[in-house]
Amino acid sequence: MKYMLLMQGTKADFEWYAKWSKEDLMANMNFMRTLSKELKDAGQFVETRGLAWPSEAKLVRAGKDGAPITDGVFPESKEFLAGYWIVEVASAEEAYKIAARLSAAPGGGKDRGTMPIEVRPVTSGMPEEKL
Amino acid sequence: MKYIMMMHCPKTGYESFGSMPKEDIRRHHEFMHSFNKKLQQAGEWVSAEGLATPQSAKRVRAREDGTPDTDGVFPESKEFLAGYWIVEVKSPERAYELAAQASAAPGVGGKPMNMWLEVREVLCAPPEQAG
Repeated sequence: MKYMLLMQGTKADFEWYAKWSKEDLMANMNFMRTLSKELKDAGQFVETRGLAWPSEAKLVRAGKDGAPITDGVFPESKEFLAGYWIVEVASAEEAYKIAARLSAAPGGGKDRGTMPIEVRPVTSGMPEEKL
Repeated sequence: MKYIMMMHCPKTGYESFGSMPKEDIRRHHEFMHSFNKKLQQAGEWVSAEGLATPQSAKRVRAREDGTPDTDGVFPESKEFLAGYWIVEVKSPERAYELAAQASAAPGVGGKPMNMWLEVREVLCAPPEQAG
């Protein structure tokens, strides 16, 4: 079964992250790299992606003529996706264990385990096909 | 350049979609299939996934001992990722055009849904290298 592990945060979280020291950023990066490698070695790695900062996010929809209408205004409460992992595991519990490890990544002077990770099964194909 | 096009929905989004007449759901699926095919033929397709219902989502953190602490309670206002495409395009404008096409997927009575999609660049580097 495939599970998606989503790292999300509000703009305020991203601003806090931008203030981390170089050492803290490096420690975090090394942790993520090691985790990716371990997942690969265990045959559980499917994909990981990191997204550009929320300031670059746009909302897009089609206008009446089909041309794109773009908007860059989001509510303060909006959680932006920072990045994600997709893992292939035998059970949800296995996915939660990996998410717990990810959540305990070293942070900017903060204690471990402060980052919640959203975990959800990935369906094969578009979501509506499951209905 | 890689861009992600994300479809978000409220907690009840899947129920609302599923309550559409069968014929409308079928038409929507056909549109999505042909949209995916066009992306593939144009060499713009990178990946796409659909996620299971928001009800299946868990928030996971590490406890002090590193074991997962899971919770299924989210704020009412929370937006859930329903699915996404990653596309390879030459410019953000092209990504917005493609997002507008997806946004105009047929909904009730075959009318364009004109739903909002969030569009953001995908970084080559892992998320922790951003900024």
